Amino acid sequence: MRQDRRLHWLLLAPALLLMAVMLYYPMLGTVYESFHETSFLNPDPKFAGLALYRRVLADGTFIEVLVNSIVWTLGVVLLQNILGFLTALLLNQNLPMQGTLRAIVLLPFILPGVVAAILWRFMYDPQLGLVNSLLLQIGLIENSVAWLADSRIAMASVIIAAVWKGFPFSMLIYLAALQNVDRSQIEAATLDGAGPVRRLVDVTLPAIRDVVVVNIVLTMILTFNYFDIIWVLTKGGPQSATHIFPTKIYETGFGQFRFGEAATYGVFSILVLAVLVALYAIVQGGANRRRAAA
Amino acid sequence: MKQTRSTRIGLMLLQLLLALLVLLPFFWMFSVSLKPPAEPFAIPARLWPDNPTIDNYITAFRPEFRTYFFNSLVVSLSTVVISVTLGLLAAYSFTRAQLGVISALVGLVVLAQMFPHSAIIIPIYKMMRSANLLNTYWSLILAYVSVTLPVAIWMLRGFLLKLPAALEESAAIDGATPLRVFWDIVVPLSRPGLIATSVYVLIVTWQEFLFALSFTSTKEMRTLPVGLNDFIGQYGIRYGELMASSVMVSLPVMAVFFFLQRYFVAGITAGAVKG
Repeated sequence: MRQDRRLHWLLLAPALLLMAVMLYYPMLGTVYESFHETSFLNPDPKFAGLALYRRVLADGTFIEVLVNSIVWTLGVVLLQNILGFLTALLLNQNLPMQGTLRAIVLLPFILPGVVAAILWRFMYDPQLGLVNSLLLQIGLIENSVAWLADSRIAMASVIIAAVWKGFPFSMLIYLAALQNVDRSQIEAATLDGAGPVRRLVDVTLPAIRDVVVVNIVLTMILTFNYFDIIWVLTKGGPQSATHIFPTKIYETGFGQFRFGEAATYGVFSILVLAVLVALYAIVQGGANRRRAAA
Repeated sequence: MKQTRSTRIGLMLLQLLLALLVLLPFFWMFSVSLKPPAEPFAIPARLWPDNPTIDNYITAFRPEFRTYFFNSLVVSLSTVVISVTLGLLAAYSFTRAQLGVISALVGLVVLAQMFPHSAIIIPIYKMMRSANLLNTYWSLILAYVSVTLPVAIWMLRGFLLKLPAALEESAAIDGATPLRVFWDIVVPLSRPGLIATSVYVLIVTWQEFLFALSFTSTKEMRTLPVGLNDFIGQYGIRYGELMASSVMVSLPVMAVFFFLQRYFVAGITAGAVKG
């Protein structure tokens, strides 16, 4: 038994060590960096106290980044989950070819993020892009639209690209949950004369409620952290219209070599995430308790 | 559940619409990649080129692209092997050790899955710089193993929890050492889990962008996603070559996914639905 215990720690050690050094320590490191100033001309860190926090908060960009991050996260999560859920319902209907269709729907999820972003950048191209071309032909728009260069619609454009890439993931989770719903309950409801909508609201939705709630919070966390799509599509622009925390941190840190300010943005993004993670713990805990009680 | 004929037809049409919506960008990527470089873009856009050719692929498969491809292959495969191995060892401990301390550590694994890479990248970058690891495979492999490990452990833990304990117990009674039990029983039985986790780690690593962008600055060391992003500037609006490169970057993961889809889907959904 004693030997067993040592063996178990031995097996755990490499993984724990790596996570400690490469994930947990940098988490604290970011806080440390946020109190130290560096710039391109002065690369040696100098203690700056709370000066960087004051500077970041005084700059109007901070509020813009915060608001953008919220709009981006809520927009992507809402659309991605609604579309994912509807698709899952559609793929759970015992129609022919559903296996093939599921594989097709998963393709955007497998597609590398940078490739998806480049593809959408091309789709959104004002002159050569497919989006303008199709919309002009149908007559939905009269003039070419600068989807990524117009600061009023750039955010909506990047959200749509991200939803196209992300909704298959939500679909996959919801489809698995739907296939887990007790068939006999649905049949009983059918015998009682419940139509499809009634069955969905009264039987299916309560049965998968926990999966839905947990999945929404999980996709919020993943979306809030997502860098690739926006960076390739707009680099946070035009001006700062699509800057979210990850793109702002990268640009400040590696574009301007202002590591201290980048870390300060990092600390703020960790604070927002802490709220989301707490929310995740609450909904996951509730789900676990209900499952244990059932 | 009975569906009337017209409902069924309606639903099938909806499915068709869904497939179209998903496939249209892919189709266009492919069609533009086959467009002769000299043929101008038709406005309004034409869905299929008049004289399809693979010229764009030949041009795009230039030496730089081959270097990026090789780098991606080295980094991704190393990461898959290391991450899945360490993940299985850790998952075995997490599921088999009856120790309060060890079970408590599972929470740290779950939490680590949610860390924002952008917020921790600066300290990691500085570590890599002091260790002289910038512009090396190791900087990327270390970072990728670390960020994929929490998910790998979590997925493999889910598989190990479902393995019947009886086999391992009887082997232990027969006098097999814990390591023998692990190697002869646990590893073979975890095969589906190992495949699912490997596919997941491969897909994540093959497309990783932020670390690769920050840790590599020389053309010799860049990976495909970063290289592809560089092409945007270099190619201007030579979209044909850009799309041909995009297809070539996507094909390897698409192929892996196509053959191992079953395992991958089971792995992704197991944790989400059953917890």
